[in-house]
Amino acid sequence: MPDLVTVQVADPEAAALFAREGENSTRQALLRRALAVGGTLTLGGVVVAGLPGLAHSAPSPAQDARILNLVLLLENLEAEFYAEALRRGSLKGELRQFARVVGSHERAHVAFITKALGRAARKKPTFAFGNATRNPARFTAAALALEDLGVAAYNGQAANLTKPTLAAAARIVSVEARHAAWIRFIAGESPAPGPTDQPATAAKVTAAVRRTKFVKSA
Amino acid sequence: MTLTLATLDRDGAIREALENVDGDSRAGFLRKAAVGGAALVGAMAGAPAAGAATSPRDVSILNYALTLEYLQAAFYTEAEREGALRGKAARAAAVVGPVERAHVTAFRKALGRAAAKRPTFNFQGTTENQGRFLETAVAFEDLAVAAYKAQAPRIQSPAVLAVAVSIHSVEARHAAWMRRLVGILPAASPFDDGIGQAEAFRIVDSTGFVTSSATTRAKGKPRFTG
Repeated sequence: MPDLVTVQVADPEAAALFAREGENSTRQALLRRALAVGGTLTLGGVVVAGLPGLAHSAPSPAQDARILNLVLLLENLEAEFYAEALRRGSLKGELRQFARVVGSHERAHVAFITKALGRAARKKPTFAFGNATRNPARFTAAALALEDLGVAAYNGQAANLTKPTLAAAARIVSVEARHAAWIRFIAGESPAPGPTDQPATAAKVTAAVRRTKFVKSA
Repeated sequence: MTLTLATLDRDGAIREALENVDGDSRAGFLRKAAVGGAALVGAMAGAPAAGAATSPRDVSILNYALTLEYLQAAFYTEAEREGALRGKAARAAAVVGPVERAHVTAFRKALGRAAAKRPTFNFQGTTENQGRFLETAVAFEDLAVAAYKAQAPRIQSPAVLAVAVSIHSVEARHAAWMRRLVGILPAASPFDDGIGQAEAFRIVDSTGFVTSSATTRAKGKPRFTG
């Protein structure tokens, strides 16, 4: 086996985590279920059409702070969402594994961004998730939407960030993309539906957050 | 017998996919991939910093990305041709392969005559066995994520950056997908680290997959600037 493969795949801790969950039956069921992949690439044309038109303004520390506060809202939203779903105990199998692993990542992102912002960090709002943390199907749909939104939000701000902040954000966005692919896989959706990920402007992200009705107080 | 891209590409299908993406002789999914590629090219070409005005550093980064995409595209193409994949792995390869080929097409068109040449490959049998295919796919995708990530802050043109980050996250989706198919955590850590170009090439070299190296002509006198 070439170096590359052993280096990258050897991940005993992760493999053990998976095994400890003991969800072999679920995984086998998943493997049997057909994955609808047809026609997904047609998204490509739409996906990148908007790229050059993205709002772009000169990076500055003040702008970094505004952008970091936007993604902090998303990270807080995700972290609280997974924590509540786990507390309510309705998730089983791989879905529970997903919520536990991804929830811990989102908490780490919140801590990282909060520390980076220092006193500029906005207060965490209160959230109300309703049945989305009670019903596994609703949970899956909401998680999928939130993770895809996270990817689009970070991607949409890349050119607006100063280079050091971009480097830090780049360490997070690919993890969000991994989360998105994982929950899509669990949902039976294509984990990677196009050749590029469509970015979202700050205004679109804010509007999408508002539409979830998950945020109660700002 | 060793398998190389050249021996597999006797009918020129790979070359056709790379160079004649608008042709109608390929299967439907390839045409769809070509749409994606064309759109990517459009995004780059429409940007003020694209073409002749692209900085030498950005050209160099684009060629680096192109080389990694060549590697991935050839790997999936070969795996599909080998026909050793079944079920979810086969379906994943049928989605991811055309996407990597679309990335190749986009970068080649964006770079024009400055584009690095496609190296030749020998995947050492990893495309002939589903288990080895998936493990290698994980390695390739995780490497691509790390490579794009390290380059992102170095890119000067906002348009090139927008395209690069929009591909970076897709590579991360692919990585997660392949990891899930292997049976390891799709996202093993809260933070993904970048890998610099020298280290990435060292890793690729260690595999012995590349049998002839790509030439990055942009480092010399770039003819494309006219």
